[in-house]
Amino acid sequence: MTIQPGRLFRIACIVLVSILFFLPVWWVTVSALRPQEEIFKYLSPLSLWTLWPRDASLIYMIELWQGPFATAILNSIYITVVTLVVGLIISAMAGFALAVMNFRFRETIFFVIVVSFLIPFDAIALPLFGILSKANLQNTYTGLILPGIGNGLAVFLFRQFFMGIPKEIREAAQIDGMGWFGIFWRIYLPLSRPAIISAGLILFVFQWQAYLWPLIIAPAPEYKVAAIAIAQFADLYGVNYSLIFSAAFFISLIPMLVLVVFQRYFTASVASTSGKG
Amino acid sequence: MTRSRKMMILFMFLGPTLAAVILLRLWPASMAVLESLYAPRAQTMSLENYAYIFGDPLFQKSILVTLIYSIIVNPLQIAIALALALLLNVSIPLIGLWRTLILLPVAIPQSVSAVVWGIGLRPDGPVNGLLVALGLGEQRFLTSPDQALGSIILIVSWIGIGYWMTFLLAGLQDIPKSLYEAIRIDGANRWQQFRYITLPQLRRTLTFVLVANTVSNFLVFAPVQILTQGGPQGSTNLIMNDIYTRGFVWGDSSSASAATVVLVSLVLLVVVMQFRLMRAPEDNAA
Repeated sequence: MTIQPGRLFRIACIVLVSILFFLPVWWVTVSALRPQEEIFKYLSPLSLWTLWPRDASLIYMIELWQGPFATAILNSIYITVVTLVVGLIISAMAGFALAVMNFRFRETIFFVIVVSFLIPFDAIALPLFGILSKANLQNTYTGLILPGIGNGLAVFLFRQFFMGIPKEIREAAQIDGMGWFGIFWRIYLPLSRPAIISAGLILFVFQWQAYLWPLIIAPAPEYKVAAIAIAQFADLYGVNYSLIFSAAFFISLIPMLVLVVFQRYFTASVASTSGKG
Repeated sequence: MTRSRKMMILFMFLGPTLAAVILLRLWPASMAVLESLYAPRAQTMSLENYAYIFGDPLFQKSILVTLIYSIIVNPLQIAIALALALLLNVSIPLIGLWRTLILLPVAIPQSVSAVVWGIGLRPDGPVNGLLVALGLGEQRFLTSPDQALGSIILIVSWIGIGYWMTFLLAGLQDIPKSLYEAIRIDGANRWQQFRYITLPQLRRTLTFVLVANTVSNFLVFAPVQILTQGGPQGSTNLIMNDIYTRGFVWGDSSSASAATVVLVSLVLLVVVMQFRLMRAPEDNAA
């Protein structure tokens, strides 16, 4: 195979652009490993040490976990896991009812669910704050978790997927005397791994990224989530940049790993559901 | 199965989601509308709050900033995302890796990106280090009224471009190869191939990306709140920041509600447009 100059140029462009996009991530990683005083040291003039830690050390990452950040990231993990489990179950159940059960106004209810979730959450966070604070849900895990569990796109994904499962399977189960819960739990859910992964990614990203909502509903330190904690780091540590970068590294690492592992499901499903609406 | 038992089962399946719809979207949305119609200390409904915010120079400026921002950020992100999608729509070694590197920033929470870029754009930060190395002068970025909005655009674009690129790439890969072969036989050059095959075939994906991108850019909040709080001199006071400031910093929930209704209407308008545009002349090429 001969390599044409045009193709070579294209490859060079691709590699260059990718590296440019990745550079800030790399800088965070390197800075998380280096002491305070070195973070701004090699920037002007630029040198090899700008992008490689001279005295790499894990002490900042370890120190980080001994401070309030540990609480914040554990809160984030806890909230996200609960959101995922509860959100997946309720969206799958709703998707199941809308796909396989017969009842009046089925299409109308489906339409209302999808359309209401088109109201962007952040835009109505303030009135929702008014409602949930009257219910005494300020500074509670429930208050933090609630907005993440209902997601119209997740319901939509499950409904689409369940409609594709042949109804003969369900009819056979019904003849064997299986009820709706059995059919849902023992037949439909085990078959729907791709839908679970795509819906799970959507719920995960929403909750892990949440900023405005945790900022207003849970100002108490013991309920702080990681995305808020990092923004307020300067006050806590008197601007210790090594710790800020270590925190940025940990908060980003988890979703990056998730994204790398499940990427193909994510793009495929979102593109085929909303892109072709 | 009795009718009531059937209703019970149905309710157990649908109930939690319906409760979420009502509690988390419909109720707060109607609260916002209702509250926006009552001026502070007023007994009857009126449009006073709307008259107040639209007459408020701060709100006027925030609408203006949001419009300027939208007019720049949306075409910019989509043009770059499309260019990158075209560039990366090729099979070369490690193509998955290169695509992932560009997509990766999406995974990072916006608040983290904001903090990191805030440090990166400091006067003694790496971006200025790079500019100096290239022989360009140091810039003030977030502290200059002329550059702060541009800096926010840089940050949200770094986060978003890979995401939108991924949709466009998926759209490009759905275009049948035979269409290109046919037009090439007719002697079309690269530009004509792009103009007469790629663009029309990509219309639905592009429309989706344009509208979804516009919606998400209307809602940008974390970078503004963390880095500039709307300043310097109101130059980055995007609408979400304005609403937050009214509601939580000043405790003026009446005008915050009115501004919220304005924002939600804007966003829903964009979403409705999306459905309209996407349903337009259905798939001409089979």
